[in-house]
Amino acid sequence: MSVLTHSEPEVVVHDDFGAGKRRARRKIVSYSILVAFAIFYVGPLLMLVMASLKTLPEFFRDPTGLPEGLEVNNFTEAWDLANFPQYLFNSLIYTVVATTLFVVMSVFVAFPIARGYVKGAGPLLTLYVVALFLPPALIPQFQLILNFGDIPVIGDVLFSFWPEGSEQQGLFNTRTGYILLFLTNPIGLIILVNYIKSIPRELDESAAVDGCGYARFVFTILMPLIRPALATVIVIHAIGIWNELILATIYLTSEDNYPITRGLLVFEGVYGSDWPKLAAAVLMLMFPMLVLYMFLQRYIISGLTSGAIKG
Amino acid sequence: MTAQQRTLFGAGRRRFIPWLLLAPGVGFYLVMAVGPSIATAFYSFTDATGLRGLPINWVGFDNYNEFAFEGARSRDNLDAVQRTLLFMVLVTVLQFGVGLLMAILVNQRLKGSLVFRTLFFVPVILGAVVQGLMWKLFLRPGGGPMDTIYGWLGLESQFLAGPSAFYWVVLVQIWANAGFTMVVFLAGMQTIPAELNEAAAVDGATGWQLFKNVTWPQLTPAVNTNFLLNIIGSLQAWMLFLVLTGFTNSTKVLGYVVYAEGFGQQGTSSFRQGYAAAASIVLFLLVLVLGMAANFVVTRRERKYLG
Repeated sequence: MSVLTHSEPEVVVHDDFGAGKRRARRKIVSYSILVAFAIFYVGPLLMLVMASLKTLPEFFRDPTGLPEGLEVNNFTEAWDLANFPQYLFNSLIYTVVATTLFVVMSVFVAFPIARGYVKGAGPLLTLYVVALFLPPALIPQFQLILNFGDIPVIGDVLFSFWPEGSEQQGLFNTRTGYILLFLTNPIGLIILVNYIKSIPRELDESAAVDGCGYARFVFTILMPLIRPALATVIVIHAIGIWNELILATIYLTSEDNYPITRGLLVFEGVYGSDWPKLAAAVLMLMFPMLVLYMFLQRYIISGLTSGAIKG
Repeated sequence: MTAQQRTLFGAGRRRFIPWLLLAPGVGFYLVMAVGPSIATAFYSFTDATGLRGLPINWVGFDNYNEFAFEGARSRDNLDAVQRTLLFMVLVTVLQFGVGLLMAILVNQRLKGSLVFRTLFFVPVILGAVVQGLMWKLFLRPGGGPMDTIYGWLGLESQFLAGPSAFYWVVLVQIWANAGFTMVVFLAGMQTIPAELNEAAAVDGATGWQLFKNVTWPQLTPAVNTNFLLNIIGSLQAWMLFLVLTGFTNSTKVLGYVVYAEGFGQQGTSSFRQGYAAAASIVLFLLVLVLGMAANFVVTRRERKYLG
């Protein structure tokens, strides 16, 4: 890269006037296209911000112009009306619990597969690769969750802790049921297996010789070593759960259980014509993601695309 | 025998510990993902409903027959299949082009290219609800931003409420995902050795020749990845339709049919999960066939460029 940078002025000196001109022209063209794209990307966001700062009459009078004053009330009102604290809490619970469970379970699957410590490690890995091409599981999954109370032993035990009659709907419209939907992610597992393969096997051996137990080895030695892969997998999985809409509309019917995506759609259904409030609500949903993106950009981009690039 | 019973992390009963700790992950995977996935085929031959306690009967190919051949619904379904394919073609081609153009522009050593790159990727992390609502405001008829621009140009459109709604969803879909395509291309471009470009430049290659003879062949893996991902992704995508247009016949794609029939959302009152399972098998076959065809093309291309 640096070689290229150094050679640049030289080329200009050697070349006739045309090359320099051509380069300048190309720069102008590049910037114009980039700026045109940028307008296309910033525009909708800007309109959202402007709408959120207007009063409703003002919005109807002039939906696109600059706001006359700063109407911050939209944010506080949307926050109260939309039951936001509850939605936000739910989204956080789903994302944190499901991601944590998923990552811990996956490491314990990925490690022995990567090392061949269990028989059939190869076929097991194939099972995860093949899953990417299987039909969608939507409908049988729904039947499973709905009829969870009928499952012998597991269903009986689980529902003995819950109020009488709750087994009628199985895990439908429960937080537990919703979290169960997010405990698998084949791409995440494959990323972990590939990364663990790059960790030298001698490490396991010397730890084992020193009398380190299996679980302790995974938690205290392996996990810190595979931190980049863990970050990647956490990012993919957490963003997927946070943005999930379809499963939230299918499985959750009471508002107390809604994550923020579903809550926002309900809010749109009720206050759909009150764009200033709706815009404020959308901005509040976006905000945590945008902040995270600013700080963890590198991880997020590599996380979301690593499955694609390596696969 | 003793050698077999002794593993790295202990002998005797302790050698089962890896198995024990592996079980929850694999168990959930089999029960929540693989099992249901395979069972979809089974459900497609039944009259299962989404209501508890109703008996489930085997109905053979009735669901498929009804899906494709019976009454007005089947015509709507075939329209939906056609629309899904059109959506795939438009999104795949345009998103590929836009993403590639973005990557080429951003990959130059221009001031601020990092800012542009960051900006173009933002929609990817926002999810369909935010993407959709943002564009609903932008495309609001009656004085919305796009409506105003249309006004200046002397044009008129109902946008998401009119006959062109489908194409607006195509636009938003591309807007939302082009950043992803761009990043995959960028990752590919970074693996192209600088010497190659330099050598070509010394030989007097200009921009287009450089692209055609160096960048494009070298970019083969990224090109193929994006091609496949765009095809499969756009066949399965329908969340933006849900947020932007809701359940209307003129914008219905196959993924939405599955959801609407199976879970009784807007427009249909049924919970016909057997029927919906049949529809999702149709979608799956579509993905499989087109995915494999694309894969065939891609492998041939790889052989041609990378030997």
